Amino acid sequence: MAVVVGVDVGSLCTKTVILDGDGKILSYDIMRSGHYYKGAAKESIENALKSAGLKKGDISYTLGTGYGRGAVAEADAEVTEITCHARGAARLFPEVHTVIDIGGQDSKVIGIGENSRVVNFVMNDKCAAGTGRFLEVMALALSVDISEMGDLFFASKEKVDVSSMCTVFAESEVISLFARGHKKADIAAGIAHAIARRIMGMVGQVGLREKVVMSGGVAKNAGVVRAIEERIETSLLVPYEPQIVGAFGAAIIASERMSTTIG
Amino acid sequence: MDPKYKVNRLQTTNEIRPLVDKHWADLRTAKERGELVAWASGPSFIFAYAMGMKCHFMAGYAAYCGGIGAGEEVLKVAEMAGDLPETCSYHRLHMGMGEAVARGIPINPQAILPMPDLMVAGRLCPEMSHYAEGLHRRFGVRVLPIDLPAVVDMEDMPRIREFVYRQFKEVVIPTFEEVCGKPFDYDRMSEILSVLKKVATLRNQCWEFFKDKPSRWTLWDYGVSIAPVFYLMGNPAGVTYYEKLLKELQERREKGIPAIAPDGEKYRLYWDGWLPWAFLGKFMRKFIPHGAVVLCGRYPWEFFPHPELIDPEHPVETWADLYYGMESHLVYTFSPKGTVDLIGKLIDDYSLDGLIMFSSKTCRVMNLAQPEVIDVLDKKYGIPGVIVEGDMIDSAMISDAQIETRLQALYEMIDSRRR
Repeated sequence: MAVVVGVDVGSLCTKTVILDGDGKILSYDIMRSGHYYKGAAKESIENALKSAGLKKGDISYTLGTGYGRGAVAEADAEVTEITCHARGAARLFPEVHTVIDIGGQDSKVIGIGENSRVVNFVMNDKCAAGTGRFLEVMALALSVDISEMGDLFFASKEKVDVSSMCTVFAESEVISLFARGHKKADIAAGIAHAIARRIMGMVGQVGLREKVVMSGGVAKNAGVVRAIEERIETSLLVPYEPQIVGAFGAAIIASERMSTTIG
Repeated sequence: MDPKYKVNRLQTTNEIRPLVDKHWADLRTAKERGELVAWASGPSFIFAYAMGMKCHFMAGYAAYCGGIGAGEEVLKVAEMAGDLPETCSYHRLHMGMGEAVARGIPINPQAILPMPDLMVAGRLCPEMSHYAEGLHRRFGVRVLPIDLPAVVDMEDMPRIREFVYRQFKEVVIPTFEEVCGKPFDYDRMSEILSVLKKVATLRNQCWEFFKDKPSRWTLWDYGVSIAPVFYLMGNPAGVTYYEKLLKELQERREKGIPAIAPDGEKYRLYWDGWLPWAFLGKFMRKFIPHGAVVLCGRYPWEFFPHPELIDPEHPVETWADLYYGMESHLVYTFSPKGTVDLIGKLIDDYSLDGLIMFSSKTCRVMNLAQPEVIDVLDKKYGIPGVIVEGDMIDSAMISDAQIETRLQALYEMIDSRRR
């Protein structure tokens, strides 16, 4: 069977999506990238192949994306995560015009035009403020599992402002909020609103055009999703598995390139 | 499948280094010969040259330090001396050099300059004020501050031009006369302008080769060729340099040689903001493998694009007019309106496919409104742009992977619009 593979090597997690000839997802894999991106890409592809009951020889085309896209030794080509997230989101939600992606160490807002074309985008630069890594550090500071952060948002009763977006300063701020007697849930909600505030600034630069899709691991945090929705005053479309949107987009492009090559 | 792209290096640009090295070597040893030394920020060094002084230029020094690989070590000294890393890297560079000398900290000897007898602080931004103030407070440098205001609307130009002209006449020239102990040499200023007119005219002829498809050279080649139209002005070697460059470009056209092999560029790009002096090679390595070539930019185009307006018979007037005249109006390109006008013209003239807006993290003068400028130009001309953050000389402000992703995304956006 001719299948194509999209591999998104992110700074925190590596994601792989395998599509069949009809563009249907056969399997996917998400694992921590660790320190050896090349190995992570290889392992993630193997995991996804195993889940789909396929062999390496079944792969017709592999496309790498993400921060570590250059480390995908199996890749026939590489494309940026900007284009891949746009393609993936547009396939899942054809009416999308804006993608908010918050990954492990970067966040981006992408404007999408006709034919799922990237019109413009902004990314954070050398700072992990408001990203997945930021949330991980905040969860540690709150002594909760990161998966609990979203639920805590909805248990919040009192408004607490977290003003720092620097991961280090925000951690100290969380500790001082504890010292002042604030509750975990309220602080967790304050953190979600701080992320939303930062994303709002990026959305402002790109220009908000509905529908808006949120992708990336942070989209699994319902609190952050709600906080962003409140800021931008519109509902977010969140895929069933938001973390694989980039890899899915990479696989779609791989599939198109295969067709072009064959055609 | 894209071909394997490679730069066709120009021979003539190899000849700029000795000219630049000589300029800085002469400056380093000026005091030993009993010569007076000036420093300048903003376009005021011409007055020092007219008086026979050796003169440093702020950005030129940064470019030089970037070129000789001395930027990092000098910036470290500044940081050690308490300068904040978020402040203007040009400012920090000068403070670092001064502190290194004052404290006996070894740095690249080529980066060491004598403290000036006069610092003419042409203030284009608040940081330049702090820079001059720092030189005065920390090293006792005599500072002559002059204001070079930004012009937001062309209707403001005449009165601001008058303000700037009067500063030249009533403050700058008398101060140089006092420091040098002799009358201002208007004839020498006219001679310098005559040479500048020749060099800039030749340079404009060279610019025409950016319009070729494929282009015959890159903005980076021109970036290293700016000195003869700026701080080396008045030096006849600049004429020889640009004559030779023009000849080489003409030969390239005749032989069909593009700036990048094998067959020329895939993407023709615009560069906004300062040039990343210490990272020219790093950026080049992010352009060429993709077939991208940068052809023009706002900052590199501010070095007297209208040499026909230079009137050596009226040196001080023409100097004010070059920056603040209704026809030349160089400072207008610092405003968002002026930026849009200029880039729009460059898009047409040079058949550009995309815009790179270089956003310096330590100098915000050119960054203002870059997102809006991209938006306006995209709507009008249908070409995409990206903002690339970084710095001219400070590697702490440069993120390799982030830059790579943004540039690659720009190429992908251009591709998607071509389909």
